[in-house]
Amino acid sequence: MKFSSLKTMPRNVVRDTLKSIERNNLMSAASVLSVIAALIILGIFLILTINVAEVTKDVESKLELKVFLQSDYTEEQKTTIEDSLNESALIESVSFESSQEALDKFTVSLEDYAPLLSGYNSENNPMPASFIIRVTDPDDLEAIQTLAMTFKDEGVEYVRYGQEYVEALVTFNKFTNTLSIVVLIVLSVISIFIIYNTIKLTVFARRKEIGIMKYVGATNGYIRAPFILEGTLLGLIGAVVAFLIIRIAYYYILGLVGGNLFLPVDASLASPSVVMGQLAFFFLLYGGFIGAVGSVFAIRKFLDV
Amino acid sequence: MIEFKNVTKGYEKNASDALKDVSLFIDKGEFVFLVGRSGAGKSTFIKLLLREIEATKGSIYINNYNVANLSKKEIPYLRRKMGIVFQDFRLLENKSVYENVAYAMEIIGKPEKQIQKRVPLALDMVGLSHRINHYPHELSGGEQQRVVIARAIINNPTILICDEPTGNLDPETSYEIICILEEINRRGTTVVVVTHDREIVDKMKKRVITLEDGMLTVDDATGRYGYEV
Repeated sequence: MKFSSLKTMPRNVVRDTLKSIERNNLMSAASVLSVIAALIILGIFLILTINVAEVTKDVESKLELKVFLQSDYTEEQKTTIEDSLNESALIESVSFESSQEALDKFTVSLEDYAPLLSGYNSENNPMPASFIIRVTDPDDLEAIQTLAMTFKDEGVEYVRYGQEYVEALVTFNKFTNTLSIVVLIVLSVISIFIIYNTIKLTVFARRKEIGIMKYVGATNGYIRAPFILEGTLLGLIGAVVAFLIIRIAYYYILGLVGGNLFLPVDASLASPSVVMGQLAFFFLLYGGFIGAVGSVFAIRKFLDV
Repeated sequence: MIEFKNVTKGYEKNASDALKDVSLFIDKGEFVFLVGRSGAGKSTFIKLLLREIEATKGSIYINNYNVANLSKKEIPYLRRKMGIVFQDFRLLENKSVYENVAYAMEIIGKPEKQIQKRVPLALDMVGLSHRINHYPHELSGGEQQRVVIARAIINNPTILICDEPTGNLDPETSYEIICILEEINRRGTTVVVVTHDREIVDKMKKRVITLEDGMLTVDDATGRYGYEV
């Protein structure tokens, strides 16, 4: 009995659902619009979160640590430091930059202002020699700094890395995550409430039918199905429209910015294919979920016959 | 088969009970009238049968199943064993006669082939074959009630419960409706008719159960009415 009822269900359910959306077109449109509005706002926050996370990751992976040597370091000290750095498992690569190389590099980077440095040569070079260290995991930066600092005054002058940038980014990352979750909850409640009211209208319009269904012996699942389908469908329609709007807007903004994010580090917007994939998945899941939850609440009390 | 054992139903704590210690037995294949004034407990009786409400005390058996033991999920399956005819018809206005009857089969998942075969037979049984594609608002009260009866019997219930089936009909039409119910009963279905249509009850000479103020006062096998109108 149960299986045969499942088999014939789609035919009636789909027909009833489409009819019902048509009948309540105004409220249905309101529901879809509310889902669209909620998802667009959510989408903006989500893209922000994804991008901040992406930039943070990007910056972290490009981080290097510079161990500056004292101007009067000895060849012996240099070898000792280099060996102990090379032994560390946390370090991916170590390269040495002599003070002459540092000066040359600096001169190149300032080519338009070359006269400024014209007075400097190998005799009075102000640039310190350094080890440039790439790490496998940005979290280990501090440990390596500590390691390098053990040679303080035994060849090492000081150690630097983009500490401030990373910390600021991580804080901002946490902030956007929290903000997104708050926005998600608030907008979800609003959307569920609007869908709940739409489906309640549908349920009310069909209360006579529901009564007959109950007396003839339809199961609660059978009675509930078209309403849940209707709510889910409204949510999904909203999700698809919101996704398209966000997608168009993101590509437009991407075109304007042209990959140039005004950050003091070398980073760009998250690649659209990654963001859009995640967004599409989340939107559909979210839209469907919001619709279904709203419907379940709406029909619950009408089933008590 | 319907059995009430010392059934009491109270709705609110301090109000008097709607049904008081009612015991009765209706055998398979019987035709029974349940009569009584408004407020005597007839609606409560029907609601208890449909497990819309639960008895405060006592137990109710339908086809040897204790209704109180049914879980919420099993209630729909209990209702499939019963057909229900309402005084106010409760037909779906936007569906044709055929669709209204077919609806009761669709809901419980009967295959389309079976529906196409059985609906015309049921409509023929109530004498409405010529109205099959009409809509409820195009039918007279008697005709609408026939559709309701066809819908109630389409799934072959063992019990047919009729709540004031002739309440909105003129005497002649009422008699026709009761004759259809009698015919259904002759084919083996237990029929319970809740009514206060004295004329019909007198004419049919069937078993009559009388409720007064929630108590079963008279249970007469030959059609005697238990109270004066």
